Amino acid sequence: MKVTVVSRSGREVVKGGIQLDDSATVADLQEAIHKRTKKHPSRQRLTLPVQPGSKERPVVLNYKKSLKDFTSGNSETLTVVFKDLGPQVSYRTLFFCEYLGPLLLYPVFYYFPVYQYFGYKGERVIHPVQTYALYYWCFHYAKRILETFFVHRFSHATSPLSNVFRNCAYYWTFGSFIAYYVNHPLYTPVGDLQMKIGFGFGILCQISNFYCHIILKNLRRPDGEGGYQIPKGFLFNIVTCANYTTEIYQWLGFNIATQTIAGYIFLVVATFIMTNWAFAKHRRLRKLFDGKDGRPRYPRRWIILPPFL
Amino acid sequence: MAGFFSLLRRLYLTAYNFTLLVGWFQVLYIVLRTLKESGHENIYRAAEKPLLFAQTAAVLEILHGLVGLVRSPVTATLPQIGSRLFLVWGILWSFPETRTHVLVTSLLISWSITEIIRYFFFGLKEAFGYTPSWLLWLRYSTFLVLYPTGISSEVGLIYIALPFIKASEKYCLRMPNKWNFSFDYFYAAIVVLGIYVPGSPHLYSYMLAQRKKALSKSKKE
Repeated sequence: MKVTVVSRSGREVVKGGIQLDDSATVADLQEAIHKRTKKHPSRQRLTLPVQPGSKERPVVLNYKKSLKDFTSGNSETLTVVFKDLGPQVSYRTLFFCEYLGPLLLYPVFYYFPVYQYFGYKGERVIHPVQTYALYYWCFHYAKRILETFFVHRFSHATSPLSNVFRNCAYYWTFGSFIAYYVNHPLYTPVGDLQMKIGFGFGILCQISNFYCHIILKNLRRPDGEGGYQIPKGFLFNIVTCANYTTEIYQWLGFNIATQTIAGYIFLVVATFIMTNWAFAKHRRLRKLFDGKDGRPRYPRRWIILPPFL
Repeated sequence: MAGFFSLLRRLYLTAYNFTLLVGWFQVLYIVLRTLKESGHENIYRAAEKPLLFAQTAAVLEILHGLVGLVRSPVTATLPQIGSRLFLVWGILWSFPETRTHVLVTSLLISWSITEIIRYFFFGLKEAFGYTPSWLLWLRYSTFLVLYPTGISSEVGLIYIALPFIKASEKYCLRMPNKWNFSFDYFYAAIVVLGIYVPGSPHLYSYMLAQRKKALSKSKKE
């Protein structure tokens, strides 16, 4: 069959189209487009043309499917709309970069005499809480990196390259900001009991968070099909985004133990970001699982932060 | 009932815009008169009251955007008003040594002309649903000159204030303290100066795009 590849403005992206076997898959088409346009398949977004004025969302061509699935009846020709998503990087790479920063930068403030460059000369007394905070922090980001490689199943393989700069700026800046204050020579520790409660609660939440990630991983089919299931088990029975909930509370534990404004600012921003994600996910799941056509109905649940949201 | 509220909204916004119009007219008038009668050193002292009033009242515009009274996105009004309040309260009012500088004159002239045009434009729009085309042209053309002059004055005054900021230690929070936080106004002011570097071309090109849109649309009508 002959495939015509056009841009969203109607211009032909591949002059003369592409000739493919009738049994070809979308992946084959993407390879062929790659050869002609030098754009790697991961940055190709291929959709079926939508009628002008139609409010419907365009049908995205999944790389596993046969091209035949998208030709309605007439299997001689197919027109696809091409959008260049820009340079892409794998999610694993993205997450590894953004988490490596905090993992390596925080210990610099603990181990190296950096505060002399901020005008603080002389000996530095290290409080126990600062040492525990170091372990807690590094454990957290090491856990995240290990989860990235061994636990998470990503719904999309790649993310735009620009997100590397944006996300790394966020994590690395906040990481340094917090590390600066917790390891400061003039740091004022909280009481012993408060520290223990903070770290204890935090560790509990980190372990819960890990378990949530395991549950989420098992929801995804191993062949990487993606798709949505209703999360079940453990905290997911009462809250949709239990993974975000445990993550937020885990940072709360860290802040109770270390008590820095910088840490609390980070907590507020991170909570804001995750709450936006949680609302979107909850809405999507409720829309998908509407109880019609044999689909289960999405149960009533907290979105992210019981008892408020 | 809905008609009542929409009328109330129109009355309120008309009153708001014309009040601020009068305020900024006062500022401009005082600036020009003082310039003629004494000199640029006395500009701030003469114009202080209407300036503080008019510029601080603009905080209401953030509220208007938040509650949906006007269409402007909060993300656009917040940085604009933030920088204005920083200059007025954070630099001029806090550090009197800066008040006699000649840049205060260029600052207030740039600001007041821009605001007079802007508030007149919105006042007419709310009151009558209509603005004359020459006012539209002014609104989308004067920025071509007034943005560079205004921004240069802002940057210049912040720069001039730096040594006074450092020496006074005003608005600084030092360690140790219970919340393990610190703030240095001197370095914060330098960061603000840094923001002007990418911020100004971004703002200017945004206004250029708005100008193209607004003036071509009026041609079609």
